[in-house]
Amino acid sequence: MKGSKILLVDDEIVFTTNMSRLLVNRGYQVTAVNSGDAAVQELEKDDFDVVVLDLKMPGMDGIATLKEIKKLDLFTQTLILTGHGSIDSALDAVRLGAYDYLTKPCEIDDLVSKIECAWQKKDEHVKEEMQENVQKIIESPHSVFDLYPSKDKKK
Amino acid sequence: MNGHEIHTMTPDITLNPPEKNSYRYLFRRFTLLTVVCSIVPLLLVGWGLNIHYTYFAQTRIVNAFEEQVANHGRFIEQFLREQSTKLRLVADTHSKKDLRQPGSLMNIFETMNREQPYIMDLGVIDQLGNHLAYIGPYDLLDKVYFHEDWFKQVMQKGLYISDMFMGFRQEPHFIIAVLRREGDDQWILRATINTRVFRTLVENMRIGETGEVYLVNTQGVYQTTPRFGGSIMDQADVAVEPFKDPVSVEVFKKNNTSPFSGQVVGRYWLTHPEWMLVVKQARSETFEEMDRARFVNLVFLHLSALSILVAAIFITRYMVGIIRKRDDHAARLNNQLMQASKLASIGELSAGVAHEINNPVAIIMTERQLLLDQFQQTTIEDPAFKDQFLSSMDQIAVQSQRCKRITHNLLRFSRRTRSMIESIDLNRFVAEVVDLMERETKTSGIRLLTDLDPDLPAIQSDSSQLQQVFLNLITNAVDAHEGKPYGSIRISTRYDADARGIFLSIADTGTGIDSKHLDRIFDPFFTTKPVGKGTGLGLSICYSIIRQLKGNITVKSEPGEGTEFIIFLPLTLKEKENGESGQSGPDKTSDPSM
Ligand SMILES: Nc1ncnc2c1ncn2[C@@H]1O[C@H](COP(=O)(O)OP(=O)(O)OP(=O)(O)O)[C@@H](O)[C@H]1O
Ligand SMILES: [Mg+2]
Repeated sequence: MKGSKILLVDDEIVFTTNMSRLLVNRGYQVTAVNSGDAAVQELEKDDFDVVVLDLKMPGMDGIATLKEIKKLDLFTQTLILTGHGSIDSALDAVRLGAYDYLTKPCEIDDLVSKIECAWQKKDEHVKEEMQENVQKIIESPHSVFDLYPSKDKKK
Repeated sequence: MNGHEIHTMTPDITLNPPEKNSYRYLFRRFTLLTVVCSIVPLLLVGWGLNIHYTYFAQTRIVNAFEEQVANHGRFIEQFLREQSTKLRLVADTHSKKDLRQPGSLMNIFETMNREQPYIMDLGVIDQLGNHLAYIGPYDLLDKVYFHEDWFKQVMQKGLYISDMFMGFRQEPHFIIAVLRREGDDQWILRATINTRVFRTLVENMRIGETGEVYLVNTQGVYQTTPRFGGSIMDQADVAVEPFKDPVSVEVFKKNNTSPFSGQVVGRYWLTHPEWMLVVKQARSETFEEMDRARFVNLVFLHLSALSILVAAIFITRYMVGIIRKRDDHAARLNNQLMQASKLASIGELSAGVAHEINNPVAIIMTERQLLLDQFQQTTIEDPAFKDQFLSSMDQIAVQSQRCKRITHNLLRFSRRTRSMIESIDLNRFVAEVVDLMERETKTSGIRLLTDLDPDLPAIQSDSSQLQQVFLNLITNAVDAHEGKPYGSIRISTRYDADARGIFLSIADTGTGIDSKHLDRIFDPFFTTKPVGKGTGLGLSICYSIIRQLKGNITVKSEPGEGTEFIIFLPLTLKEKENGESGQSGPDKTSDPSM
């Protein structure tokens, strides 16, 4: 979906700048950060549709970042980008709730298609949630403001 | 990587068991030690005892011999004295007149010879040397003895025993004569000793096969006929030493110069007459029993030494064998350990390197994409540049993909952190393995061929474990081509719906496996490769992995033609193994990646 908001997390600055330019060229809104901490801060500040997360980073690594993101309990989907040396941890990450993983180096088209899939998944989640909420309101309407979840938080 | 492995292998050789030669050295050392510690003392004691015994026995034998000689000498002396005493008795108890009476002398002669014919004749001679009476086989009555040597001696000494002489009868004989004084008158009673009887008497001694006994006088003339060589009255070749000890025994060593070489000679001096009794015997006969005892002794001694030596050699060989086996075993274990740690470190290293390479390649890829994006937005007139640009971009993509593939394989190779059951497309897997191995096999002239069943279902298995199996089998197949300039390894897959599994075959055109080795190749540590090259673990690891994956591995081989390993893998492990793999169960979650 054009205009999706993407958070790019990788310790390689050249990689993030290049990648964000590429994604911007393809119509996405991209924010790039270079550490796990910065990513979590960014997510607390703002809504994102998809996080693209490198696993191997100094300091807080991808897995730890993922756990933190999960704690925030967002609709945001996470795509793992791995140097493949850590394929086992990539699978771990998937088990922890990442949407999918990609091995570096990857074609931009592959990344884009995965991002699209992730976005769709997020969209489904949001719609389901909305439906549930509509159902709730129909059953016991309290406030019309509950119809749209404030920010992207589930509850 | 291959070159690397070979290189890092070189220091291993120092860990290999000592060379064959050093075992031979060890063997020699052990044997020598046993010999020095047991055989040498045994021989020393044995020889010492033997020498001591010889000395002891020899002394006793010589003493006994001496005793015998002395007894015999005394016996001969005794005989002569007896005869003299008899004559003296007859002369003293008879007067000349008595003896001249006919029959009287005959009477005495017979009386004296009653036991044995000791005397041959008997005569009475007056002081002028004329025969007065005579009994004997010769006709000597008219003989006059006045000028004879013995006659002078007896007149002087009163009793005389002569040496052997020829006399009137021209035969060797000796006489005993006594002088009798009757007032102014003197006469002589003379007896001739029977030479034959005397000789028997002298030789009446146990002297065995080689012994001889004879008498010589002071001039060294035989007084009796010796048994071997020479006859009575001849000059004997025995040196007559002046009258010294009454008895002496000498043992002559074997040397050719002395007439007594190799003999034991006993001598005894008779006092009256001054004759020397000589008793000779071959040394070997005298010491026969002692020599036999010694010989038996020595034979036993050397036999026991020999048996110790043989036992020592056998025990040593056995022990060295054990040591060698232990060494081999230790070397193998060592090697295996080295190999394992080497593999582990190579794995770690390559994983790190691969990871580090992936990042820059990823950046290159993004740069390329940026350029492409830019390119599409700008209008470029020059078509040649456009073409070149696009083909370069393609090349960059292809080469980056290649880098990715290499690092990917490296990482798969080194990945053995945990066993993970996942869904595997075996065809793709084989292609991957072939891709990884091709670089190695190409240099040794071996082609890797694949023959893949297109309708292959995915199976549940552990790809990193399977990868190990494949690497081991292909390495073995490559090794089996050693010495052949070219060859091929064919990897094929086939789905068997009935067996609910997949058959994988790895067939090579190598040397094949000797039929006597066939049922041992899966044994741990069984290898036909030299120590340092093969640990013999490859196939046993394959076997245990395949069993663990509920599959089966078999081998077919034609020596000289090639070998084929056939692996059966079930489609899923679940049926047979419910609980265990359920826990790990990451297969579902890993699906999206496939
Ligand atoms: N493809 C083959 N062709 C001929 N002989 C083979 C083949 N595969 C195995 N063998 C024989 O089986 C033996 C055992 O093989 P295995 O892989 O267990 O040990 P290895 O290759 O000697 O040592 P390692 O694999 O530990 O380096 C080998 O030494 C070889 O004699
Ligand atoms: Mg092997």
